[in-house]
Amino acid sequence: MLQSGRLAQLIQALRVLPGVGPKSAQRMAFHLLQRDRLGARGLAEALLEAVEHIGHCGECRTLTEGELCAVCANPNRDGTQLCIVESPAEVFAIDQSTGFKGRFFVLNGRLSPLDGIGPDELRLDLLERRLQTGEVREMILATNTTVEGEATAHYLSEMARHFGVRPTRIAYGVPFGGEIEFVDGTTLAHAFNGRREV
Amino acid sequence: MMQPDRYSLKEAFVLHRRNFRETSLLLDIFSRDHGIFRLIAKGALRGRGGRSGVLQPFLPLSLAWTSRGEPAVLTAAEARGNIFELSGKNLFCGFYLNELLVRLLPPHDPHERIFACYGQSLQRLQTGGRLDETLRFFELALLEELGYGLLLDYDAESGAEIQAERYYAYGIEQGPVECGAGGSAVRGSVLLGLRNGFLTGHEEILAAKRLMRRVIQHYLGGRPLKSRDLFKYSTYSVFNIE
Repeated sequence: MLQSGRLAQLIQALRVLPGVGPKSAQRMAFHLLQRDRLGARGLAEALLEAVEHIGHCGECRTLTEGELCAVCANPNRDGTQLCIVESPAEVFAIDQSTGFKGRFFVLNGRLSPLDGIGPDELRLDLLERRLQTGEVREMILATNTTVEGEATAHYLSEMARHFGVRPTRIAYGVPFGGEIEFVDGTTLAHAFNGRREV
Repeated sequence: MMQPDRYSLKEAFVLHRRNFRETSLLLDIFSRDHGIFRLIAKGALRGRGGRSGVLQPFLPLSLAWTSRGEPAVLTAAEARGNIFELSGKNLFCGFYLNELLVRLLPPHDPHERIFACYGQSLQRLQTGGRLDETLRFFELALLEELGYGLLLDYDAESGAEIQAERYYAYGIEQGPVECGAGGSAVRGSVLLGLRNGFLTGHEEILAAKRLMRRVIQHYLGGRPLKSRDLFKYSTYSVFNIE
């Protein structure tokens, strides 16, 4: 082992990043130390600051610096529509590209009994309390289209009905610009069953 | 170096999948000839060439893999038919079956009968048969296969045939013994109904559910099944015994 001590430690630490194996970690470490020490210091400080100050929004549980995230703190957002997503990354994706003006709730996971994740582990009681206030009229279920995502959507739709809220599920099927010939069978079947009048 | 064992296309289902490292999947597999085991699908999540789309629960598959210790590594996967389209409560029931298999079957033990029964149960869940009967039928078959089969035709003490209108106390690993009505006593009609795979009437369905839950809980040990929690808001729950 050529690398030892702090260098080895740095390489090991860089491997926490997704997609970074031993080889890339080593390249990154050498790059930072040989060519960009200032950048390395900046990176270290930014990481520390972020870990220290970024937490979860008290309302929707997305990542935020303050008590509330920008969406929850904005009084102009429509509180009658609540969009449910699995992770904070999806809040950004939907917010940037859909023109949705309602509010969000982030599950930070999905119901998955075989992983031991049930309603209690996802803290769905927080969502129940939100529905109890009576402000929400429509719950938009934007969980992933995996079996667990579907199960989660169904569970939440039953919860919504229990509280007199209208549950809706995002549509899925042939991707935009996609060619039907190349779409997989399951997706195509869904697209076909979910057809609508034009 | 030890040569890996190679297995050519075998009938199997994915019971559960979780992401593993960056682009791989760790799968709980139930195969006809090799029972329950774990399999790594390397690069399954990588773009278009990945096998992620086909490695779905409730889809009949043919899988090939090599094994040199645990876990085995997937080498080929193709769909063997159409996916069982389960939605809503039926999907929850599908999870329940999967959880039962993972929790109760010992790994690497072939159980062809249960494999066939699993496929039939998924079929029944898809076509929307009565959920209770489907689940009880599967639970009984699973226990039977594991050697924990329930005694449903004779009184364990007297050896007399079970009478529909009499009451019995069901002792786990002993069987039914006639007793008075009340408490946890089960009507004979419930035992006979379970034996014949045909339950009628709300009371009987409920009693059968209670009995089976008690027996299954016994074999699971302390940890309860997670998939039951999914039914909290279901107006009619196949797991609600209160």
